[in-house]
Amino acid sequence: MSNFFEERFGLDDGVYRRVMATALERGGEYCDLYFQQRSSTVLGLEDEEINRAFRSDDLGVGIRVVRGDATGYAFSEDLEEASMHAAARVAAAIASGGQSEPPQKIVSRTHPDLYPVERPWGEVSTVERLPLLGRVNARAAGGDDRISKVRVHLSDSESRVLVVDAEGRKSYDYQPMTTLYVACVARDGERREESYHNIGGRQGLELYTDDKLDHVADEAVRRTLLLFDARRPPAGEMPVVLAAGSSGILLHEAIGHGMEADFNRKGTSIYSDRLGKLIAEPIVSIVDDGTLPASRGAINVDDEGNETQRTVLVENGVLRTYLHDRISARHYGVKPTGNGRRQSFRHVPMPRMRATYMLPGPHDREEIIRSVKQGILAESFTNGQVQIGAGDFTFYIKCGYLIEDGRITAPIKDVNIIGNGPKVLADVTMVADDMVIDEGGWTCGKDGQSVPVSLGMPTVKVGSVTVGGVS
Amino acid sequence: MSLEDRKRELERAQKIIDDVMGMARDAGAEEVAARYGSASFVSLKQRDGEIETLQSSKSRGLSVSLFVDGRYSSNSTSFLEHDALSRFVAESLEMTRRLAPDPNRRLPEPELYGELPDVDLEMFDERGDGDMDARKGRIAALEDAARAGEHVISATAEMTTQDSMSLRVHSNGFRGHNESTTFFLGASVTVRDDDGRRPEDYCWVGARHFADLPPPPEIGAEATRRATQRRGASKAPSARMTLVVENRIASRLLGSLLAPLGGSALQQGRSCFEGMLGEKLGSDLLDVVDDPLIPRGLASRLYDGDGLPATKRSVLTKGVLDRYFINVYYGRKLEMAPTSGSASNLLLTPGERSMDELVGGVERGVLVTSFLGGNANPATGDFSFGVGGFLIEGGQLTQPVSEMNIADNHTELWKRLSAVGNDPYPFSAWRLPTLVFDDVQFSGS
Repeated sequence: MSNFFEERFGLDDGVYRRVMATALERGGEYCDLYFQQRSSTVLGLEDEEINRAFRSDDLGVGIRVVRGDATGYAFSEDLEEASMHAAARVAAAIASGGQSEPPQKIVSRTHPDLYPVERPWGEVSTVERLPLLGRVNARAAGGDDRISKVRVHLSDSESRVLVVDAEGRKSYDYQPMTTLYVACVARDGERREESYHNIGGRQGLELYTDDKLDHVADEAVRRTLLLFDARRPPAGEMPVVLAAGSSGILLHEAIGHGMEADFNRKGTSIYSDRLGKLIAEPIVSIVDDGTLPASRGAINVDDEGNETQRTVLVENGVLRTYLHDRISARHYGVKPTGNGRRQSFRHVPMPRMRATYMLPGPHDREEIIRSVKQGILAESFTNGQVQIGAGDFTFYIKCGYLIEDGRITAPIKDVNIIGNGPKVLADVTMVADDMVIDEGGWTCGKDGQSVPVSLGMPTVKVGSVTVGGVS
Repeated sequence: MSLEDRKRELERAQKIIDDVMGMARDAGAEEVAARYGSASFVSLKQRDGEIETLQSSKSRGLSVSLFVDGRYSSNSTSFLEHDALSRFVAESLEMTRRLAPDPNRRLPEPELYGELPDVDLEMFDERGDGDMDARKGRIAALEDAARAGEHVISATAEMTTQDSMSLRVHSNGFRGHNESTTFFLGASVTVRDDDGRRPEDYCWVGARHFADLPPPPEIGAEATRRATQRRGASKAPSARMTLVVENRIASRLLGSLLAPLGGSALQQGRSCFEGMLGEKLGSDLLDVVDDPLIPRGLASRLYDGDGLPATKRSVLTKGVLDRYFINVYYGRKLEMAPTSGSASNLLLTPGERSMDELVGGVERGVLVTSFLGGNANPATGDFSFGVGGFLIEGGQLTQPVSEMNIADNHTELWKRLSAVGNDPYPFSAWRLPTLVFDDVQFSGS
């Protein structure tokens, strides 16, 4: 079975074997070649006109050599065999012995297709993209008299990836991605507010039905106008109810990063040495899932050629599995979990999350809100961060509501929440049955590399967290 | 890179740019701006006595802004072979022609280019940082120093050496070329706390010339000292107190003050500082200068992203706003003269006292040594950030604090800037001193 790189650049198993022989010439235990071709387009609308476009083409191969826990890495931005040998020699220098053998035979592996598209983005014309932005702009601009500016960005990309490794495995994948972003500015007398909404996934043009486009616009308008009525909540510790959906950012920061096995292998995570221990109430189960069709976090095969899977991080309150790449799986003597990901061929793979979410629990949303005397309901978020070892994490609430005597009252805005991962997880006291995977275009940053991820959450109550409000 | 290699790289850049500009003009583009950039880097990471990662590569890329039939696009590629470039230009032009025209999208008027400043920015270190063995020795010394602390669980030392060049050419007469080196050294250290937490901290420094960096053992020891001081951190009670921001992280706060000063934020009506030129935004101590012409500066440059000559400009004088950050495009939309769309090296006029002396003068407050997450709203100035550091009581640091937030508003906060340190941080592009603000809201227990 042939693939894009073989058809377009005449690569074949002989080339892979020769380049791997060079990569292993100094005794590396393992090597892999990661070929990538990526094209992306962004169309932008501002001041009512779609008058800017940004296009980017990228091509290259990353060559990695592994010896124990150590990695040698180099890339080439052309696919000439001589350039690949030169990069392979640089990566080979991580080892310092005699020649290791490249694989005798290379076998193509197949995998399920979690993100089929009707047409690849490369075959979609500019003219077909334009009406999407126009519709969203008209809908948002006409959504309310106070809306003064609307900006819309439509991004799409397609990445073709081929991983060939020293075990003789060869995996090819076509990875589509798209995001639609709408930002609104509203004015009310002297006051101004801004907010946004976006949706995204590994999908083609078919994602953007009229209903979806209208929904993105309406949600951006709603989120912006809400801010005029919003105030800043009081400062200090209080119960926080996390709304279903993007509240999954809590899991991403409070536990997800800490479960990436590279940190645990080095002993630098607060979750190091806690596998098998009860860390939360039995109503709490958390997974990291590469198999959610068409989601940003979906991967047919990871960036080291390992099968994707649904990995249980926490099962009924018990810490179960770290997220592994090849190096950490070997270190721990377990199978890779399909979490070896990288930003591009210029980057070394490492354990990364995919779609991280909490499974539904026994409570219902109303019951949870009724149980709070004085607290907040957090509804939409912009960003978060964590200190892996100390366990402190934050996320920023763009808007939400006060809860007073069991009822939702005034809207709130612009407040940072800070907590400690294990303390907060142990303090998740109620979990509703309304789990939602968020539709937003989330991106995770680690060690200078960005990868797309998904988040999900049912409505959840956390007993007490520090809210960065004003008194 | 040898002088000979650098000369060859510049010739290659010129050839590719000539090539691509010819293709674009032949296909109907009225104006073209092209930028070729290349960079070679070596990076090493060492942990627990062993090299953990060794990376080295060379990267090249071309970006091309096309102006055709009054329409605009900006495009980039790393695939520089002739036929691929020709396809890239043709497809990009085809895409551009489908967009709406934008009368403000033109190259800068040629008279704006003027003369580039006649300054030697000393951006390229000819001596470099030695060979691979020298680098390995250096990173080992750095990591040894970082690992030496009593409570250390893990220490990672890192270094990156980079050579970069770029050539920018505009079809209406601008040509600019630069070459630079950058050296980064750093360590991150994780220590064991008594209750199972594993606090971490880091020390990272960067410079254009290798000789300007501190000795590696000092960097490692500083990372370990900082991480060790984080042991036993807890929340302090919520209160309004004095905020002291350590010099090396002050850029986080200043950066979020500057975001609403950009041309896009102003033109799109989402800036809390609209119409505030000449108005007082901060106390008399808020004196900020943007100086792109500092020799060896990490953000030094002879020309900005539009090809306009770089000049030293005051941003704030005694708290009064002197300039916005306006590029050529938003300048036309706003009918304002361009002043550069982005900051280069930022300097804040230092005061007389050291950080320790400033802390000594605080009755009750927090010395913030790290920010964690948080965000700001440029339309209103509201912000909220996670912070860690040390509680100050009666002029003394009494306990490490973590898991706290600050919340305030940029239109108010800087008026409460009450003292500035004598200690601008030298190893980053923004050389800011310790900053002291009165009466800031902290949330904790």
